[in-house]
Amino acid sequence: MITNPAHNKEILIFLLSSIGLIVLPHVYHLHLAVFGFFCLLLVWRFVGIWKPERLPTFPIILLLIVCGMAILYTQHRGILGRDGGTSLFVIALGLKLMEIKSERDLYLINYLAFIVAASQFLYEQSILMAAYILFVCCVLLATLVYINSYVAQTGTSLKKAAVIVAQAIPMAIVVFILFPRVEAPRWLLFNDEQKAKMGLSDSMEPGFITDLGMSDELVFRVKFTGAIPPSKQRYWRGPVLTQTDGKKWTQANDLSYQKYLDKPTFSGKPYQYTLLMEPQEKNWVFALDMPADYPNPLRQNANYQLITSDDLRKRTEFKLMSYPAYNTGYLTKTEYKDARQLPGKPSENIKQLVTQLHGFDSQPDEFINQLLNHFRKEDFHYTLTPPLMEDNPIETFLFETRYGFCSHYASAFVYLMRVADIPARVVTGYQGGEFNEVGSFLEIKQADAHAWAEVWLDKQGWVRVDPTAAIAPERIEKNIDIARLVPGGLISYATPGSGQAAFNLLKQARQLWSNVDYNWQRWVINYNNANQASFLSSFGIADFKTMVYWMMAIVGIITALLSLFLLYQRPKSTDRTLIVYNRFLKKIAKAGLSKKPGEGARDFAERIKPKLPEQAVSIEQITTAFISQRYGSKASDAGLRLLDDLVTMFKVKFQETNNLSKTHEQDKNKL
Amino acid sequence: MNPLPLKERFGLDRFFLGERRPDGKPLTLNQRRIFILPTQRGLGFGLLILLLALIAFVYNNNLAYMLAFLLGSIFFITILHTYKSLAGLTVQEGQAIAVFAGEAAGFGVHIDNPTPVERQNVRLKMKTAENFNLKAHSKAHLTLYDLTQKRGWHPAGTVTISSTYPLGLFRAWSPIRFNAKALVYPKPANQEVPFPETGSTQNQQGRFKKGGDEFYGLQSYQAGDPIRHIHWKAYAKGLGLFSKQYGGESSSEIWLDFGHAPGQSLEERLSYLCRWVVDAEQAGLSYGFILAGLRLEPGNGPAHYRKCLEALALF
Repeated sequence: MITNPAHNKEILIFLLSSIGLIVLPHVYHLHLAVFGFFCLLLVWRFVGIWKPERLPTFPIILLLIVCGMAILYTQHRGILGRDGGTSLFVIALGLKLMEIKSERDLYLINYLAFIVAASQFLYEQSILMAAYILFVCCVLLATLVYINSYVAQTGTSLKKAAVIVAQAIPMAIVVFILFPRVEAPRWLLFNDEQKAKMGLSDSMEPGFITDLGMSDELVFRVKFTGAIPPSKQRYWRGPVLTQTDGKKWTQANDLSYQKYLDKPTFSGKPYQYTLLMEPQEKNWVFALDMPADYPNPLRQNANYQLITSDDLRKRTEFKLMSYPAYNTGYLTKTEYKDARQLPGKPSENIKQLVTQLHGFDSQPDEFINQLLNHFRKEDFHYTLTPPLMEDNPIETFLFETRYGFCSHYASAFVYLMRVADIPARVVTGYQGGEFNEVGSFLEIKQADAHAWAEVWLDKQGWVRVDPTAAIAPERIEKNIDIARLVPGGLISYATPGSGQAAFNLLKQARQLWSNVDYNWQRWVINYNNANQASFLSSFGIADFKTMVYWMMAIVGIITALLSLFLLYQRPKSTDRTLIVYNRFLKKIAKAGLSKKPGEGARDFAERIKPKLPEQAVSIEQITTAFISQRYGSKASDAGLRLLDDLVTMFKVKFQETNNLSKTHEQDKNKL
Repeated sequence: MNPLPLKERFGLDRFFLGERRPDGKPLTLNQRRIFILPTQRGLGFGLLILLLALIAFVYNNNLAYMLAFLLGSIFFITILHTYKSLAGLTVQEGQAIAVFAGEAAGFGVHIDNPTPVERQNVRLKMKTAENFNLKAHSKAHLTLYDLTQKRGWHPAGTVTISSTYPLGLFRAWSPIRFNAKALVYPKPANQEVPFPETGSTQNQQGRFKKGGDEFYGLQSYQAGDPIRHIHWKAYAKGLGLFSKQYGGESSSEIWLDFGHAPGQSLEERLSYLCRWVVDAEQAGLSYGFILAGLRLEPGNGPAHYRKCLEALALF
């Protein structure tokens, strides 16, 4: 019996360890001061298990509370919002650890730990985190089992807790699917400053994409219904940069010309797809060039980029349609002006180069080809780690270093076009994406960030030209293989069929995992009222009322099944013993001997033993086993099995039986 | 299960005192007799679930929803588990042990677990409580004690069997009305009084050596034997409780008559008379007993002793 669980060493070790596990992942999310303070308290409490005299006295606890409040105030200026709230609960949990006096305190700590566990989900919602928290919840529940046990055992408690959790999961899933979701009103959403995520910026200085060049971080995933565009058509349109000061490229300030724009005309086969965006800082949606159909609240800006008025800081899904071939028609005056803007006069070197490539004396497409050929023929290189070009980067790149990546090529290309009086602009976004064969969707990572050029040509409108494709066609045709990318080294591209078997296996495993993750994000994390409505309507569940009815019905069924499973009891052991014994009596009855009502098993055995001398031993065994099993205190399943075996083996010799019956008949005859 | 009259079925005392059981047969705990309600901690757990659901709602966080729903399901399922920790147990009253007033009366309880499920941390409570585990297909015999005040019959009243296993969020309990009564003898007077000078001519010794210090043997322990006479060595060896018997040389008869008992009130006199009986039995004397209309011929031994004490208890 656990007299006072609050002073039980095992319980405290159990509880404190599980609390350590619960708070541990917060090391990435919380301020160091908060986390450090909590660790201090936890370690202190751990020491207190063996040295209770070291635990803080009341004045020191007061001081600790003041400390905790001070940390909360200085770090968060309050307790509202995600970070503040989480810190509050973590500090409260730590402080409560200092005062464990009764079983009630243990429960309170346990409940606080559950809240801290939930707060982990506000930061990370991956499968691994979910599995981890599920495990820790089992441990927390096991402490409760431990407290409520008479003879406490760690293993048994953990097992019991795991069994309860396993039994609860189906019901939880049903409620999860059917519980009516209501979006929280806007005023309730605490606006937290999220950690700035790396991503495309709204400006470009050749060199900026380097940071993203190596990032394996997922940006969005695309699932196509029907055909998947080939890699060289997978340009995911982001911000369009028209203004430049020679170094930095930025978006045009004035996009009000949109109302004068021609409506683009599309041709070819459209692509239908679902875009699942990872949380983003910016409200850009990277559609396949060129988006034609998009749902509310998406809209297209004057540069044909998709913008949403919704918050993209949570994962969002869009159903889109794009055409690979399009004509944007005429150019507005503002566009024309913007697309020819130059930062001062071009240098003699530049002019000479343009002249040399017939920039001033031939058709625009001729000049484009000349320029792309120039990149291809001359000693230009594609690298993710180009040398720094601080002043006059375009000229440095064109005439000196000649090492660069997409943004260098795109900016130099657009600049030269403008010098030749051709309207041109830089488009940033993503290019390519890895195809996941398991789930048949595309994954676009930060490393797929790209910059290309758009040139306005008569009768064709804005036309995409990718100078990077001229110098490094593999960059466009295939994907950069991030897993094999070493900074400064050669760029390797993932080619189908290349690489060792082991590497392919690894890749397959990774794709499988990506697929699981994709479905997890899509169906679990992103399951909102819209998803719920569309999912449930396919089962004919349309409104809240039916949802609640269905939920109650299914939960009822699960409860009934569980009760049956938990509470159904096999026939009592003593009754089963009797059943086996009755089988024995039946066998004996063949010998014409039957137990009189009211005759004890022992008396019966003594009576029949002389009549069946050959079976006397087994009769004795069966009777003893029966009595100890039915009336003894050591009844067990093993004993029952033994009795069962004995009865099965027991045989009455038929000869004797015949003799007996004969004598019986003879007796009758005599009569 | 015999049907329960409607009036009793909805009677409130069923929840606190248990059903009336005129027969005293073994009682199987089932859905009719097991009640279950959340404990304070269980209500706290409910609050926790609400708080988690609120966090999930405000942050529109599906995994937090999932955690809230999971804990909700666990809460719900715990009802079954807690019920299961009692369901199917069979409770039967055992012997009630007679005691002297002021001592704790013991009531035996037999609990049988005929099911293949081990029961954890079951609590049996009268005035004192006892917790125990019960393995599958096993029986337990427990004795619950209740302090007695007055001589006479001491009813066991209601014994509550309960459990909060596994999570402590719910408490399943079943009140069982026990029919057992323990006989409470009067409390023997603290003061040692010489035996009465009996009018009987057979015994003219006047004085005899009571109790004495001459050890003459062991006898199995009788309720009321002085603790200092218990043979602890034998007890420690697991041989059971024995009292050392001391005796004087006198084995002549004495008469213990209520009329000769000192004291003011009835109870006081009964308590002196009781003391005489205890002392006489211990000393191995042959003693007669006279209480009002009752007259017991001189005798000795446990049966005689009990008869005398019973008469005293029920006077």
